[in-house]
Amino acid sequence: MNYQQLAKKLVQRAVKQGAQQAEAYLEVGRESSCRVRDGKIEDLTQATSKGVGIRVLVKNRLGFAYTSDFDPSSLNAFVDRAIALAQAAAPNALNGLPKASELAGKKDVVKDLFDPAVANLASDWKIKAALEMEKAGKALDPRITTFDNVGAGDSVADVYMASSEGAEGSYSGTYVFLYAVPVASDGQQLQTSYWVDYKRFLGELDSPEAIGKEAARRAVRMLGAKKVKSQKVPVIFDPMMAAGFVGAIAACANGDAVFKKSSIFAPLLGKKIAPANVTILDDGRLAKGLGTAPFDGEGVATRRTAIVEGGKLQSFLYDAFTARKAKARTTGNAARGYSSLPSIGTNNLYLEPGTRSPEELIREVKNGFYVTAMLGRGADPVTGDYSRGANGIWIENGELTRPVQEVTVAGNLLTMLRDVDAIGNDLTFRGSSGAPTLRFSELTVSGE
Amino acid sequence: MPARTTARAARRPAAHPPRVSTPPPLLPAGVLEQVLAAGMSRGAEFAEVYVERAVTTAVSLDEGKIKSAQTGLAQGVGVRVIAGAQVGYAYSDDLDTDALLRAARTAALVAQSGGSEQTFSVSRVPTPSYYRVATPLADIEVARKAELLVRANKAARAFDPRIQQVMGTYVDTTKRIWVANTQGRFAEDTQDLCRLSVQVVAQGKNKERRTGFYGGGGRVSFGHFDTFTPELVAREAARQAIATLGAAEAKAGPQTVVLAPGWSGILLHEAVGHGLEADFIRKKTSLFAGKLNQQVASDLVTVIDDGTVANSRGSINVDDEGNPGERKVLIENGKLRGYMYDALNAKLMGEKSSGSGRRQSFKHMPLPRMTNTYLAPGNDTPEDILRSVKRGLYCAQFGGGQVDISNGNFVFEVSEAYQIEDGKIGRPVKNAILIGVGPEALKNVSRVGCDPMPDPGLGTCGKDGQSVPVGVGLPTLRIDNITVGGTRVG
Repeated sequence: MNYQQLAKKLVQRAVKQGAQQAEAYLEVGRESSCRVRDGKIEDLTQATSKGVGIRVLVKNRLGFAYTSDFDPSSLNAFVDRAIALAQAAAPNALNGLPKASELAGKKDVVKDLFDPAVANLASDWKIKAALEMEKAGKALDPRITTFDNVGAGDSVADVYMASSEGAEGSYSGTYVFLYAVPVASDGQQLQTSYWVDYKRFLGELDSPEAIGKEAARRAVRMLGAKKVKSQKVPVIFDPMMAAGFVGAIAACANGDAVFKKSSIFAPLLGKKIAPANVTILDDGRLAKGLGTAPFDGEGVATRRTAIVEGGKLQSFLYDAFTARKAKARTTGNAARGYSSLPSIGTNNLYLEPGTRSPEELIREVKNGFYVTAMLGRGADPVTGDYSRGANGIWIENGELTRPVQEVTVAGNLLTMLRDVDAIGNDLTFRGSSGAPTLRFSELTVSGE
Repeated sequence: MPARTTARAARRPAAHPPRVSTPPPLLPAGVLEQVLAAGMSRGAEFAEVYVERAVTTAVSLDEGKIKSAQTGLAQGVGVRVIAGAQVGYAYSDDLDTDALLRAARTAALVAQSGGSEQTFSVSRVPTPSYYRVATPLADIEVARKAELLVRANKAARAFDPRIQQVMGTYVDTTKRIWVANTQGRFAEDTQDLCRLSVQVVAQGKNKERRTGFYGGGGRVSFGHFDTFTPELVAREAARQAIATLGAAEAKAGPQTVVLAPGWSGILLHEAVGHGLEADFIRKKTSLFAGKLNQQVASDLVTVIDDGTVANSRGSINVDDEGNPGERKVLIENGKLRGYMYDALNAKLMGEKSSGSGRRQSFKHMPLPRMTNTYLAPGNDTPEDILRSVKRGLYCAQFGGGQVDISNGNFVFEVSEAYQIEDGKIGRPVKNAILIGVGPEALKNVSRVGCDPMPDPGLGTCGKDGQSVPVGVGLPTLRIDNITVGGTRVG
């Protein structure tokens, strides 16, 4: 089936049926994965999937429908349903698809989305990789008694778009991943941890042995973890935890939340909110980035947007509708799958690294907390309140000493940004967001 | 990866008359049997077909207006083949017979022994009925769904002029499933589910902002919202936001806490529920593995998982492996009595399925999951429980929670909390979170209220990347010496 043609036909039908504007977003994919247990295959999964979402405007009212049923008669009914549904929405003169001038053009090509080595990856490779992770994890320490999960997988995903405003384009991407979730036991306590890698290119992926070992190292070092006293101390987030914090910052930069004054960032554009070494970027064009694409979920060219630059709040993130409301310009941050309307999200989000090693950052702390895992959602963009369960290692006189669990770290996002007092040189991506080791001069640790 | 739940909270709707029309079959006659035969073609021991067709309708309100109305159709089939302890799984969103047979042959690849041509027959098992609805939710006019949101918006704004933003969502799904397997079982079910939710932002003095969230629904007829009205939902969301303006910083460290009834049941779901799911027990990754019949909680604690509660969000007539929903006592007077089993883990452990095999969709393999998990009521009145606390924290509304099932650490986000002083509710407190280790926290339960309360039908539980609707419930509860995460020290 020619999916580009199909997307175009659906748009044409919608216009013919009375839509003033229409857009089709179509996805086609296949995936395969495996898990292992005790040296044997636990399960193998293979699948194909497809689906299309159609967004229509009828008299400035927004309707949307999606389906995975590509039978021609069913597709026509689906377009008509979207149009009928629009009647239930309120008219809004600001509704509308991105204009032709905002859409990605022929020159908006990005390279390095597709690796034939991943697309043709043999099942045996994944099984072998998963077995190697399990073996390496168990070999690292006899206290690794079992795995909650250990597996590997890959997928190929194609996107096709068409709109009445002239959007027309497609891209194809590959993904490959490894993950290990071992459990360590000392007879008293169980501790788990996980380590993953997720890339577009096979050559970029960490070795299965490295993933298995790192996951095991992170689980074993937590054995014997205890609470500490409640206190305010310097706190260091490892790169995975720091990436979560950067995600909370990006949520505050969501143009829709800002427009509705539902973000602490609303009055702060152009103001200094962090030390000069803090730069947070969303880059939809990052080379080989997991979140890289030529255009966003509504056909607008992706770009590089500095949310925070040199400590200054530089930009909010927008899709076309929100930009129109806020009298701003879309930043190419409409995120979606075929089954949902676009909403503001990030592409490749990261905190720029500093120059010093994570070891140095730890060495300068007399009494503090190195956080390696967290529980809970944590941050509220409306109030800036931040509070999460935390596991990690206590720092004494510059050394990582004993494991800590059953405590929380809490503060406020604005205060935390202000209190960033060191950034490591170890920028790490595990997925489409990344960060280096990050130190805050003070956070509240709640425990005994 | 740690299991996580996200969402919120109360009332059990009345039963409704059964539906009248019979929808067309999901697959033509004979296809299920052909697919099962293809699944067994390489000599497996077991094959299963899961067919799903789900129609979803959603309406959203933002900035005082109905922003969009949408609908979606998701349909497909998942084929599972088991050979020894190895599982093959394939799914397809194409329902034509060729695509189904292709999926079955792909799943069959897990078996190596080379099978023979066999035929299978399946017969329909009777399905209990815990949630018939008057009219399938998919057939209710979308304008009536939008009207709920318009009313909620009006009521929230009328509640207090400090309410500045109102966001509302109504979503429903009518999902039909067929499950058939080579043991001859064929079960079908229609699962309607809806939820209305409202989030507000209030602005007080000095531009202080607070949020409120409330909503609910279940496997109910649309008439549910005649009593669980959008006004009731909106006013509760608005009340939370206004009540917490001027909140003080939460004090860090151990305190006595009193939990309000209802959605607080999420604490049980996290503190013990996930740790009692059979996959974690079989793999020995849960701290509850090997503790059957041991004391794991205060003797005031009895925990039940019940898939048969009338019209509740987490109820299931049959689970996603075709086994009937069940009521299971997990903890009785503090002693661990049982785990929750799906069919695969049950077989590997020499047990029976407890009707706990659930999956998000045909794209997922079933996992042992909770349904409606609640704590049996005790003897104390809520007033006596509050009066018994000299200093502590009263937790009135809750956000989500998350648990690490290996070390048992769980968190429980408190969105509306108050200081307790001399047995009375005092000043509001912000940004509080409870953290504990499951069995330790439940050993510190010192009083259980006589006020059983199911949540209003908001919960969605996530595990291994799969979301399923769940119910929770808890009477008023006092827990001593639990760590409150806050920002104020000393």
